[in-house]
Amino acid sequence: MNIREKILVVEDEKSISRFISTILNTNGYEAMQARSGQEALSMITSHCPDLIILDLGLPDMDGMDILRQLRSWTSLPVVVVSARSHEGDKVSALDLGADDYLTKPFGTDELLARVRTAIRHTRTVSGNDEIAQKGTYTVGDLVVDFNKHQALVRGKNVRLTLSEFRIVALLAKYAGKVLTYDFIIKELWGPRAGGDNQILRVNMANIRRKIEENPAEPRYLFTEIGVGYRMAEGE
Amino acid sequence: MRRKEQHTWKQLFPFSWRDCLLASVIFFCAVVFCALLHLSNSGDGFASPIFVLAVLLISRLTTGYLYGLVAALLGVVCVNYVFTYPYLALNFTLSGYPLSFLAFLGVSIITSTLTSQAKQQQELRVENEKEKMRANLLRSVSHDIRTPLTSIVGATSTILETPTLSPAEQRDLLEDVRDDAQWLIQVVENLLSITRIGSDSACIRKEPEPAEEILGVAVQKFRKRYPAVAVEVCAPETLLFVPMDAILIGQVLSNLLENAVLHGKTTTKINLSVQCDGGDALFSVRDNGQGISPHLLPTLFDGTLKHGEASSCDGKRNMGLGLSVCLAIVRAHGGTMEAQNLAGGAEFTFRLPLSTGGEA
Repeated sequence: MNIREKILVVEDEKSISRFISTILNTNGYEAMQARSGQEALSMITSHCPDLIILDLGLPDMDGMDILRQLRSWTSLPVVVVSARSHEGDKVSALDLGADDYLTKPFGTDELLARVRTAIRHTRTVSGNDEIAQKGTYTVGDLVVDFNKHQALVRGKNVRLTLSEFRIVALLAKYAGKVLTYDFIIKELWGPRAGGDNQILRVNMANIRRKIEENPAEPRYLFTEIGVGYRMAEGE
Repeated sequence: MRRKEQHTWKQLFPFSWRDCLLASVIFFCAVVFCALLHLSNSGDGFASPIFVLAVLLISRLTTGYLYGLVAALLGVVCVNYVFTYPYLALNFTLSGYPLSFLAFLGVSIITSTLTSQAKQQQELRVENEKEKMRANLLRSVSHDIRTPLTSIVGATSTILETPTLSPAEQRDLLEDVRDDAQWLIQVVENLLSITRIGSDSACIRKEPEPAEEILGVAVQKFRKRYPAVAVEVCAPETLLFVPMDAILIGQVLSNLLENAVLHGKTTTKINLSVQCDGGDALFSVRDNGQGISPHLLPTLFDGTLKHGEASSCDGKRNMGLGLSVCLAIVRAHGGTMEAQNLAGGAEFTFRLPLSTGGEA
């Protein structure tokens, strides 16, 4: 029998907590429910879940505070759920160390995809078995070759420039996960790079023109408006 | 208290270079005209009426009392000093002088008062229109919310209370519930957009966003909801940065896409495109549905789209809210919006200015 991954659902709305738990339970995870921040913190220490789904709007404490407390002692993956559609909240939650976010209302497939990605990225160091074993990342017709520093579409080298390749490689390494503009810029151009994301977005436009069939309808490199970019997940 | 006094003082005598220039030009014209008539020796009687006209024009076309009063004063001086016998000398003994001065002042003050009253009424009308739009909006929202809620409550209670329903019947009902809930989400998103615009349209935060990314995200969302409808997206080869609030423009696009399906009825294909057109980014959503009914077309954007009219061709879903939100968002960006019927289907276009200029 498989050991099922334990997921703690921290959510004060009963109906939402129940539907999330039901989806998780029927998809091979073991869901636990916490209704408040205090309950969540004690359950985390006693049950050691593999993932936390954390609603930011809890009655007793701010979800951001819980996240901050957690990150002071564990790197346990956290997927933040927020009703606030303002992208600023998402960005600050991600900056505080959340692994991903879901905006209410979200669909079941979206929920499962985020959970799957977040758990996988903690299990393997590089976040992706294929990268660790073969040094490549494959999704659809796209292959990112980390050894040769090139990206291939249907076997053909698309000739990315160095910084273009580094963006693609970074996104591929964290495939399925949203990376904020700030994170990408800091990884690429160092911690003292300016906060302007215009250059990054021009780079992304160029990458899409080389990789995507229609840059306005990306299959591999998705935009998260106001937050950052996300690479499509391979099978 | 003092601040209030200052405030009214400023309201009564506002200063602007535009008004200053306008007043000077009008007054100068009057002087030149009088001078020409004077040179052609047409007598004395013409000066007064011409300057009265000038004062009247200045009071009418400028804001506040300042320019009219100054013009009246100068007018009296001109008439008395320059253009009436004895020329180039002030003659306070001239009979009728105090009368003409009073007449000039009277013209100036009355005209300025009328002007400012007209302006106030204009403002009031705009305010009223806003109020009306808000009321319309509330009405259409309430309806938009009530109908799907009724059906959700109905469908779920049917399922709970009727154990004899076949799985297929249950499924149908549940699918309706999901559709209705999704519709409600869209309604709420629209309401959130309105609060995001706020009461003051100057407060939206515009940032340069690549147009293709915005289209991409809108289409991705749309595909999830309507996988059966083909969407073709077209963005220019050169990257186009458009200053906008990306969330709001995303809302506009998803409203237009959704309308194309819900109101185009027979829509199977949608073309979504953006291009650079002059100083604007031109967004277009084209469908191959049944088009917009001609009697709705002229009033589509004035917010008066009543529920009855929109739903007569539609059943339950009202496009009033979605479209008025679109229009409000586009206007808040300093853009314009249009709709037209094509040979087969409808096209909605909107323009956003590419300059980051401060216009609201």
